[in-house]
Amino acid sequence: MTDVSVAPVVPPIETRGYAHPEVLVSTEWVARHLEDPKVRSMESNEDLLLFDLGHVPGAVKIDWVADLNDRVTRDYVDAPRLEEMLRARGVSRDTTIVLYGDKNNWWATYAFWVLRLFGLTNLRIMDGGRARWEQEGRPLTREAARHSRGDIDVRPRDDSKIRAFREEIERHVSAGRPLVDVRSPEEYRGERLHMPDYPNEGALRGGHIPGARNVPWARAVNPDTHTFRPAGELRTIYVEEQGLTPGDDVVAYCRIGERSSHTWFVLTYLLGFERVRNYDGSWTEWGNLVRAPIER
Amino acid sequence: MSDRDALIERLADHHRHPRHHGPLPDADVTAGAGNPGCGDVVTVYLKLAPGTDRLESATFEGTGCTISQGATSLLLQDVNRSRPTLGELGALSLDRHLDRLGRDVVGFRERCAAVGFDALRRAVRAIETERKLMAAGYPPAEARRLRLQAQRGADPD
Repeated sequence: MTDVSVAPVVPPIETRGYAHPEVLVSTEWVARHLEDPKVRSMESNEDLLLFDLGHVPGAVKIDWVADLNDRVTRDYVDAPRLEEMLRARGVSRDTTIVLYGDKNNWWATYAFWVLRLFGLTNLRIMDGGRARWEQEGRPLTREAARHSRGDIDVRPRDDSKIRAFREEIERHVSAGRPLVDVRSPEEYRGERLHMPDYPNEGALRGGHIPGARNVPWARAVNPDTHTFRPAGELRTIYVEEQGLTPGDDVVAYCRIGERSSHTWFVLTYLLGFERVRNYDGSWTEWGNLVRAPIER
Repeated sequence: MSDRDALIERLADHHRHPRHHGPLPDADVTAGAGNPGCGDVVTVYLKLAPGTDRLESATFEGTGCTISQGATSLLLQDVNRSRPTLGELGALSLDRHLDRLGRDVVGFRERCAAVGFDALRRAVRAIETERKLMAAGYPPAEARRLRLQAQRGADPD
């Protein structure tokens, strides 16, 4: 038996007031479905070797560099490649994919967002991610899972609904629509070009897209439990403090679109915003664009 | 344990228990490198044996993933054992470093694996720059000031 009594308690997901609580599963739910052939846990990390050093039993690895990004063009893989990647990991049409990872699920929500571009709906995020699983003392294994090949069909990617491109951002700025810059305050103010303690590289200019509000992505997470904050606390951050409303046309961005996928997830699924897009070009595109307007 | 597992375990051990870790108070030069994709940062401290061209000691500090920090520790363990000359340090091969780490372990994260190597190479280049300035007639203090100025444009803060 796993002793989870030492981990700080979190209220059940269904009691936290989320607009779409069905996209989250708890660590306890995952533990109960370890042997369920219709559930495939996928670990997506910043630290590539974490998975190899121990992962949720039965889980498979999804690497944002090798599996989700095109290796030549700055873009995502196409449908045949994603389909092959998922089939090789045993994903079928009726498989529920549960994504989790390090960094408070930052890379898991990134994978979630990329999979949504292809119209996949049977997706879940394990609330609290790898850190919560470890905090509760649940088992990790180095044993590579063997799953028989799946038969999922992946549709062509649709970039029109939840992904934003540079030209759209220019129109968004001109129209005065809301942008959320989820980077650190230092990056937002142009004092740094990356997070504190991260390399100061990647863009020629610092600052933010004109009109953007600054809400660092990790504010949506309870640092003690690594789980998402309840909807009431999230509303305080995004609605009361920033004046965003669920009907707004919102674009989130960061440096390459990974941290902002976390905020996209929070606004879309936890607070029920209907029109949120992730600008994955983000600051590494805008901060390098000749004559792009910048505020500091 | 497979070869790949053994290589991963070695990297993880270096990550958990980094060798030659921490600042070197009397270092001749300090240089940093970073990998924006993964957020790895490494600072290398390098000291040559007085009056010689040979490495006396090299240490590092940093934050980041298992590959970046483990690979840096492994690299510094190697150079602290072999005590190469400055020329030999400058001629170290990144390909050989990646081979030693295991290509299938590193995968597409070559930049993570190279961050410590880059920092070491920048440290070597900084010493060479300072020496060239002195050879051109700059007094040591001025050569050092100019070298530090040049480094500020190249290293992460």
